[in-house]
Amino acid sequence: MTWKSPVALVREALQGQRAREKDLRSLMSNLPYEGLEKGKQPNRYFPSNAIKTTKYSLLLFIPMNLYEQFHRLANIYFVGLAILNFIPVVNAFQPEVALIPICIILSLTALKDAWEDFRRYQSDKKLNNTPCFIYSRKEKQFVERRWKDVRVGDFVKVVCNETIPADLLLLYTSDPNGVCLIETANLDGETNLKQRTAVSGNPEFEPESFNGIVVCEKPNNNLNHFKCYMWVSNTQKVGAGIESLLLRGCTVRNTDHAVGFVVYAGHETKSMLNNSGPRYKRSKLERRLNIDVFFCFILLFAMCLIGALGHFIWLYALPGVPPYLVPPANGHLDSPNLSSFYMFFTMIILLQILIPISLYVSIELVKIGQIFLITNDIDLYDEETDSRIQCKALNITEDLGQIEYIFSDKTGTLTENKMVFRRCSIMGTDRTGSSSRCQKIDPYLEFFLALTICNTVVVSMTNNPLETLSSLVKNTGNILKCCKRKPKRNRTFTMDSDDQFQPSVKMEEPGTSGLQPCSLHAASLHDKHPLTSDNLRYEAESPDEAALVYATKAYGFTLLARTPDSVTVRLPSGEVLVFEVLDTLTFDSNRKRMSVLVRHPITKEYVLYTKGADYAIMELLGTPYAGIGNEKNIAAVTQRHLDCYAKEGLRTLCIAKKVVSEAVYKHWLVERQRALTAIDNREVLIMDTAVQLETNLTLLGATGIEDRLQENVPDTIMALRQAGIKVWVLTGDKPETAVNIGYACRLLEDEDLITCRAILDCTLEEVRRYNSDPRNVDTTLNISLVIDGRTLTMALSPDLRGDFVDLAKHCRSVLCCRVTPLQKSRVVKVIREKLKVMTLAVGDGANDVNMIQAADIGIGISGQEGMQAVMASDFAISRFKHLKKLLLVHGHWCYTRLANMIIYFFYKNVAYVNLLFWYQFFCGFSGSTMIDYWLLIFFNLFFTSLPPIMFGIMDRDISAEMLLGVPELYKTGQGEGDYRFTTFWVSILDAFYQSLVCFFIPYFVYQDSDIDMFTFGTPLNTTALFTILLHLSIEIKSWVIMLGSVLFYFIVTLAYSATCVTCNPPSNPYWVLQNQMADPMFYLICILSTVVALLPRYTFHVLRNSIALSPLIEAKHLDRLDPSMREEWMKEWRSYRGGGQVQRSTLSTPPSPTLENPVDIFSESLAVSDIMGDDFTLNVFGQ
Amino acid sequence: HILSHYNHKHKYISLEFNVKNQLKFTNRPDNTAFTQQRLPAWQPILSAGIVIPGFVLIGLAFIGVGVALFVTSRSIQVLERDYTGDESGTPCASCANSNVQNSFGFCFPQSQGPVFFYYGLSNYFQNYRRYGTSKDDNQLYGVLKYFTSPSDNCAPYAYNSNNQPIVPCGSIANSMFNDTFKLYQTVNGTRQEVSLDGKGIAWWTDYNIKYRNPTNNPLKDAFNGTVKPIYWSKPAYELDTSDPSNNGFVNQDFLVWMRRAALPDFRKLYRRISQDKYPDGLPAGNYSLEITYNYRVYRFSGKKKVVFSNVSWMGGKNEFLGIAYLVVGSMCVFMSIVMLIVYAKFKFPDEE
Repeated sequence: MTWKSPVALVREALQGQRAREKDLRSLMSNLPYEGLEKGKQPNRYFPSNAIKTTKYSLLLFIPMNLYEQFHRLANIYFVGLAILNFIPVVNAFQPEVALIPICIILSLTALKDAWEDFRRYQSDKKLNNTPCFIYSRKEKQFVERRWKDVRVGDFVKVVCNETIPADLLLLYTSDPNGVCLIETANLDGETNLKQRTAVSGNPEFEPESFNGIVVCEKPNNNLNHFKCYMWVSNTQKVGAGIESLLLRGCTVRNTDHAVGFVVYAGHETKSMLNNSGPRYKRSKLERRLNIDVFFCFILLFAMCLIGALGHFIWLYALPGVPPYLVPPANGHLDSPNLSSFYMFFTMIILLQILIPISLYVSIELVKIGQIFLITNDIDLYDEETDSRIQCKALNITEDLGQIEYIFSDKTGTLTENKMVFRRCSIMGTDRTGSSSRCQKIDPYLEFFLALTICNTVVVSMTNNPLETLSSLVKNTGNILKCCKRKPKRNRTFTMDSDDQFQPSVKMEEPGTSGLQPCSLHAASLHDKHPLTSDNLRYEAESPDEAALVYATKAYGFTLLARTPDSVTVRLPSGEVLVFEVLDTLTFDSNRKRMSVLVRHPITKEYVLYTKGADYAIMELLGTPYAGIGNEKNIAAVTQRHLDCYAKEGLRTLCIAKKVVSEAVYKHWLVERQRALTAIDNREVLIMDTAVQLETNLTLLGATGIEDRLQENVPDTIMALRQAGIKVWVLTGDKPETAVNIGYACRLLEDEDLITCRAILDCTLEEVRRYNSDPRNVDTTLNISLVIDGRTLTMALSPDLRGDFVDLAKHCRSVLCCRVTPLQKSRVVKVIREKLKVMTLAVGDGANDVNMIQAADIGIGISGQEGMQAVMASDFAISRFKHLKKLLLVHGHWCYTRLANMIIYFFYKNVAYVNLLFWYQFFCGFSGSTMIDYWLLIFFNLFFTSLPPIMFGIMDRDISAEMLLGVPELYKTGQGEGDYRFTTFWVSILDAFYQSLVCFFIPYFVYQDSDIDMFTFGTPLNTTALFTILLHLSIEIKSWVIMLGSVLFYFIVTLAYSATCVTCNPPSNPYWVLQNQMADPMFYLICILSTVVALLPRYTFHVLRNSIALSPLIEAKHLDRLDPSMREEWMKEWRSYRGGGQVQRSTLSTPPSPTLENPVDIFSESLAVSDIMGDDFTLNVFGQ
Repeated sequence: HILSHYNHKHKYISLEFNVKNQLKFTNRPDNTAFTQQRLPAWQPILSAGIVIPGFVLIGLAFIGVGVALFVTSRSIQVLERDYTGDESGTPCASCANSNVQNSFGFCFPQSQGPVFFYYGLSNYFQNYRRYGTSKDDNQLYGVLKYFTSPSDNCAPYAYNSNNQPIVPCGSIANSMFNDTFKLYQTVNGTRQEVSLDGKGIAWWTDYNIKYRNPTNNPLKDAFNGTVKPIYWSKPAYELDTSDPSNNGFVNQDFLVWMRRAALPDFRKLYRRISQDKYPDGLPAGNYSLEITYNYRVYRFSGKKKVVFSNVSWMGGKNEFLGIAYLVVGSMCVFMSIVMLIVYAKFKFPDEE
């Protein structure tokens, strides 16, 4: 190595910094520079691919870990106290002894951290040494290297089923179309294949001849976004986006090999930037806990002040200098002022455990234990996906027991999100294409063609015969269902259709009578069975699309292949058409639609097929529909069909097409090209171009897709509601669909709901009037609110927010339809902030991520729509029904366990420390202890810490069956719950009382006797142990641990006082316990003190158990019955309760049937733009 | 080539399929009582029905113990005489001034069992923290090294003004109680000395294990170069002139003093009435006590007293514990009656 001046080094570092911080990076191939020293490398400023996720290094572990741990206030406090002990004038213990507790706590935590870090180190090492292929100029081929050798600017070859080592710009694939399929399961859990396209479609790619410059943006963590362009030559630049980027961590599938240019490596890759580690949320209980710790500080301060004052008065009242008053080493006594000042600090050291040092560590341990038990619950395991519940946030388990509001997504959360194509409505349109000479295009042919083409479904050949068979069987089943249902549907239609409706039914007849498609399908089915090579599997990003494609396949329109440039479709006639795909305008949540622009192989027309949410399409229909006559009628009729589908709970989609003239297309293409290569504002530009093209559409038809409810959803929702939880459903679906699902899952009750339309103020007024009416005191009001997205926007505006929340508070359940992801999170935030309640959001899709993050607890359902929701969630479950046990059982348990444990910790420390405090009154407030220091420390760290921890992890106050059977028990945890102000202070008062008893009974017994200090302290210590443990026994079920603790205490203390002759000067409890245990008085004192100390508490419990039965105690009683009797009782109780709910009264609003005219709703939401201020509508379903 | 690749892939996938089938439920949690939280547990519910019998039992047991304690305590005889001597009318009114040997007489009733002779101090804080740390355990263990360099804990009683180490160092040793007593029985006008037994008044472990003299013989050699504590009149190796083995750190009086009292009013065992001469305890009669008054307590308003007491299995006389047991026992019985009423009132209608 040549020597470099420091200036050069600094300059180099600064340059590197600047290069990394630049918004745009220019990257070059490393090949021309191969073998040169590092300073000459063009991409030397960018990090290499070796990753290091460990927090510590071997040498610096101790200082770094200590630094990390001292970010905790509690640790600083205890270290400060330990240091205080080293000051001779204030020390209470020997300095070394005082360090023990904090050292134990710190080393425990450090051990835990070290173990975690070591595991990270191992996985890093494994990852860094994974082999991969890098092109070498010397060898003229790809050579095997390790992942850590990959640098920005290298060419990396990945082969099928191999994991991608870094973020690669795809340049070449073995596929002739330049396509590479990847599976992103490692990143976001989505197992469907994603298609990536090579930038330069050049099949003959040679790394060495690559001389372009790749300009890309600064690394960011957005997995679905990448901006880059490449100078192919000096003048020509080619744009590339995420569709050309192979992400680190993904797996290559169905592609033999691919070559990419490394743009980001190591920690700059998108997957690493997304790796933000576990989430840290603070639970409500912890916030409460901190307040109580603060109270403990005040208490400590007061006690120390009393100590200091007492010392001052004691010194002041001394007439002379007694022989026991030892001056400091210099031989001169301090003034009473000064020594009482010192005494204040001595007292702090002495009484420090008033702030429970082991509490924080214990809470962490308990939460680890609780999470272990939750994740191991077999009831929360889903066999179908082989997945357990995952706890991503480690420290909010107890919040599960305090939930008051649940915000739920509908699709995929309440429903399966396994779509089954159920209905379609096809408009007959007379359209004779100018060039269709021989073929007359059927309206429904056109419709199915649109369905087949307009999607992003990827076809993959399955090689798994079983799977294909099952999918085939599934298909057949679906089709049969379709066929069976169709006549019925027709019937219902004619039955409920009025005169105005009649013509349209005829019109949709050909498409939906089912006869034709069925027979058509039958033919194709016969065709297909012998053809096993026709095993097609569709990989779709959304289940809707897959359902549509499977359906069209069943009708004979088979999607055979899809490449970026073409779609191959086999028609029922057996004819195979290859459509040239000119562009795909992908789906986004703003447009709520997607389009595919194709060139018809026969007519050579440019056709745009659009598919999207009904309202998104209806708005864009061409002018003929806005006019009069048949076309308008078609739109209206389709709309009516859509409403009917929605009422049945089907998800609706509209299909439309547009023929684009060549001139328009050419013009548009230019703009599109410009948008695609733009670096700034690219999304907006691309969307604008999409919107430009999607106008004047011609409606082809509509589809209705069924999404079945998950199992036990109604049951779960009922149980949650009985548990006092308000359930809100926020969905992007139509109000009709949402209401229907609402009924299906018992969110809305059948009989007792009515619809009324009123402005917000009126409704609120009415609800208030109802509540204030004395006659209605004991009747519960069953109102459900259904509100749509646009209205919600207004309701959430700052001036109306209060009223809206007020109204929502009175509603039993709320349904929000047509809401955007952002609105979902706003609703959650508003409720959370205004009502100060614990909220839980549950969802499965990317559109729920905002909501999940906004709520106190976010739950992700790992379903069909990828893993984004799961990634953002605190807990991930696989079925909605798991929520019931998670909340009602685990939530309740975790909360009561932890709340009781924390209160117990406070109680325990106060009770114990007070013994020392009372002793100060008899030793001149000098900070003496009558218990050996070691035993003091052991008492807190070992003798009494295990039972509460076990209690916190394992205790069951009520059995799971009981909690599930009587969801009302959950209410005990809501709001303030078990852990409230009074509980804390009552237990502190109890602690004071118990410590008084434990101190003064031995005091009066040994008064004026020849007892020595440690002999006096032994019964105190023992009594305190018994009292503290038996105190817990009122709550705890595992008595074994308590017995263990007592035994442990005696063994350790006996051993300690037998072995330690001079090892712990100046205190020395040698043979003290042995002596005491030989004395019957010791036992008599211990028994009496323990009984007297616990008598009030036990009496209180007995009286409460006999007189004022709380639901929890009643449940405990019932738990002791045998299961059959318990079952009987629960049934009885249910029916009794059900009877209680029967009494109802009505609002003064005239009742009208639910959704009497759905068209109104639609027109209203259309016309909502001209509604101003307060003057908007709400659909209020009241009883 | 493509075909072979295809075949290869096919094989690979079918293999994967088999493996998958075997490991289908790899994530399934273990169905054990522990992980499913079904461990058997037992806990009594504190309802009146269960607790009433318990309370009656506890109450009765407590009353029994209380009676036993009370009776035992009553049978113990205690005789206390304050001899601080700072008030007139007290047994030793002029003791404090005359400084030398004083005596006073008293009557002693017939005692049963052995009689213990204590001295007592009041308002004396042997539990004061700094006082308690002011000793050197290693020195007292007989380690010669610490004779010449006592522990810092002993300061300012570690070295004298000439910087000579003090042995035994520290405040506790320095402030050792040094009054001595002689007990006489007056029989027919003549004073007869009652022999007192000073053996075994300290803890056995203190005498044999915790405190040790250096092995030097004679013991005096070990103390070369050290000085006696400031308040002491005799060095440690001459504490008991009558019994050479009762010197140094294992002197019984020293050991008793070094075991610090827990509370500011305390007594310490001085002697036992010799069991050889008085096997049935001290006979009733007139006694006089001769005191060598050395220990000054009036400057910190302390009190001194002598106590004669016989002991039982429960130690000295203490009525508190017996009464406490009786009170708590009766409370338990009373509570059980209250609970019975409560139970009858609230439980029975409920069960109908």
